[in-house]
Amino acid sequence: MTLLTEHLLPVFLPQLLAGMAVNFKIAAIALLLGLALGVPLTLARLSGSITGAAASTLIGLLRAAPTFVVMFFLFNVIAKDAKVFGYAIALSGVMTVAVSLVPYAAAYVADNGAEALQQLRRGAPLAALLFLPNVGRAFFVLVMSSSAGAAIGVNEGIAVILREAERLPATSDKFLLFAVGIACFGVALQVGFAMINLLKNWLGTLLARKDTASSQS
Amino acid sequence: MIRIARDLPSLFRAMMHALLLIAGLFAALTSHAQNDTTPDAALARLLVEAREEAATPGVCAKPDIDRLVRIFCNKQIRAGVRENYPLFGARDGDTLKGYDTDVARAIAATLKVELAFSRVTPANRIALLAEDRIDVAIATMGHNKQRDEQARFIRPHYYESQSILVGPKAISIKDWRDVVGRTICVTIGNGSNAQIGSQGARLMLYEDAGALPERLRDETCSLAVQDDSFFAFHFTNPAFAALHESKLSFAQVPWGMAVARTGSDRLAGALDLMSQIFHRDSVFLDLARANRIDFGFLEKQREVWKRPECNISKAKMGNTDTNCVLPPLANALQATTFAPAITAFEVWMLQNTGVVLSLPMFKTMPAWNLFKAGISNSLIMIIGALAATLGFALLLGAALGSRSRPLRWAAQALTITMQSTPVVLTLVIAAAVAQVFFPYSPMIALCAAIFALGLTNGCNAGQAIDEAMLTLREEQGHAAGGESGVAGLFKVAVGRSATQIVSFLINAAKGTPIASFIGAPELLSALTDITAFSSGRATTYSMLLVFYIVVVAIVVYLCGKLRTYLEQRKGQPA
Repeated sequence: MTLLTEHLLPVFLPQLLAGMAVNFKIAAIALLLGLALGVPLTLARLSGSITGAAASTLIGLLRAAPTFVVMFFLFNVIAKDAKVFGYAIALSGVMTVAVSLVPYAAAYVADNGAEALQQLRRGAPLAALLFLPNVGRAFFVLVMSSSAGAAIGVNEGIAVILREAERLPATSDKFLLFAVGIACFGVALQVGFAMINLLKNWLGTLLARKDTASSQS
Repeated sequence: MIRIARDLPSLFRAMMHALLLIAGLFAALTSHAQNDTTPDAALARLLVEAREEAATPGVCAKPDIDRLVRIFCNKQIRAGVRENYPLFGARDGDTLKGYDTDVARAIAATLKVELAFSRVTPANRIALLAEDRIDVAIATMGHNKQRDEQARFIRPHYYESQSILVGPKAISIKDWRDVVGRTICVTIGNGSNAQIGSQGARLMLYEDAGALPERLRDETCSLAVQDDSFFAFHFTNPAFAALHESKLSFAQVPWGMAVARTGSDRLAGALDLMSQIFHRDSVFLDLARANRIDFGFLEKQREVWKRPECNISKAKMGNTDTNCVLPPLANALQATTFAPAITAFEVWMLQNTGVVLSLPMFKTMPAWNLFKAGISNSLIMIIGALAATLGFALLLGAALGSRSRPLRWAAQALTITMQSTPVVLTLVIAAAVAQVFFPYSPMIALCAAIFALGLTNGCNAGQAIDEAMLTLREEQGHAAGGESGVAGLFKVAVGRSATQIVSFLINAAKGTPIASFIGAPELLSALTDITAFSSGRATTYSMLLVFYIVVVAIVVYLCGKLRTYLEQRKGQPA
């Protein structure tokens, strides 16, 4: 317990929280980029023409792209001094991880966006609004997935945990450290999912009230 | 006039005698000089001949003269040196400092010509020689058999370095067993990368060695490997030296000055001889001391070149006796039988499409073996992860839906824990647990990764089965069902949750490359190792991306078939 009270909580925990903030930052960037790519893909997909078929194929490819491989591809292939039309296009570590998560985010947005648009066309705007909690769920999945950044040296939460683990000689101390890490990520995730469920329940209640009102009228 | 005419024959005879005497003396002296086999005499002869040739009218205008002659024609030698390698070649304002630059100055002084420096990098130093933009490269260049085919290396070698593993003092590394599973930052193309990869360490690649000390300071890298000559400067920084130390040293490499393979025979000979003399007379040693670099190798070499059997020349070259000169590092990789066809294909692609394709994984046996093993291990990983996911899903689905509270609570606790743990951390914990019971091996890492991926995805799929069971119980009022009823309900629940099970199976297949994080020898790991000692990163990682997308697409197709099967079973009576 000495390790926990004298080092892990007062010294390590602030470092871990700072690292987790990087995970949240990566997830936010990835989600924004995913929305920017996913929404047009949704619209294209629902257009039903050749564009729709092309969009569906692209969404399928995005869905199949493994995040970790995409991250290594970006990390190793884009030169650090690469420029396009004079503009530097080299990605920082954080942006490399964020961009590698975009295929997942865009495919997710496209899938759920299509569902929401169909609900909207059916005249069920509240059902369409369920898109929001789904996006929130994707955000927390992205937070957890951003831990892959540890493999390319991004100083996020898992990298902080692993760096600390390397300094601890005893296996039991390492497992205690891992437990603290799981607890921190777990609390963030469960709080996030609880908020999403609250939002979902609230929307569900609104939906039920509207159905009741429409059936009475 | 008559007297003079009478004395002419005797005068002529006297002159002839004098001429014969002079000729005899000259022949004797020349013979003595020719027989002098010291490197000093051989170098003097070589330089005199080259200077005389350069002074001959019209010679300097010829295009194919030896570079030594041209150096005398231009009264200048062009030395390629590095500018970002502290203690060896570093720019300080308008001047270049370091051991390599001082060696270049010593050579120019011996030749009595001006010195012009050119900045070179590890990537272009040999190309600049071939393009005749520099006369000699003195640029921290390790001499190995592979490079022998690209440039003419000067021997004896002017320095020797070794690779060292540097890390924080807080981390205990006693031998190679302690680096297993750790991430080590290296520079692409470093000759020791293959050796590091074979020890079970993960490689994080950097293009420039200059990034390594900074990444050690900001703790992005906990360990880094580079030449001791490179870290020598950083260890002169008290702040760096207070926190870091050299953990292991390995892979000694002799450094060679190099000249172009063609048109530089006499220049190479002169530099060989100079190098012998510089070792024997402590010129190299004094320059090393002045630049505060390690000089153990140079002290040993001085003793070697002082020995009578070594302090000799052969023809117009230095001593090539293997008892005196060191061999190049034998790092040449065995080529595959189809390497020429691959090279021809690369050339064809470039000529016909303009696409620069580099396929190092097909050209050398070590790379080819790594590539084959990577593919087969990746397929094993994917099949294993799918089986483990399905197994854990059924197991946890049954446990979560069990009537036994302790079993249900245990399964719920495990599910929540797994859902709250980033998969990278799950993998690390699985690998740490495995190492408690078994000594590390790539296969153990592979099994740990399959277990971790299966458990992570299986928990989520198991929860979907449990939720399906709950809804079925609500719908069918099965609360008091018997054993056969529970089993039947479970089968229907599996069918009802088929979509979620399939999505987590696909997720497991997509997640397999992350196993490289704990050293599992799958394709990503193999290709990272291959690109660490060869070129062609763009092609390699593009191929990797295509491989995984195709494999995941196949998994998606097969999982679609499985979903159809499960959903059809759902409709059958329990």
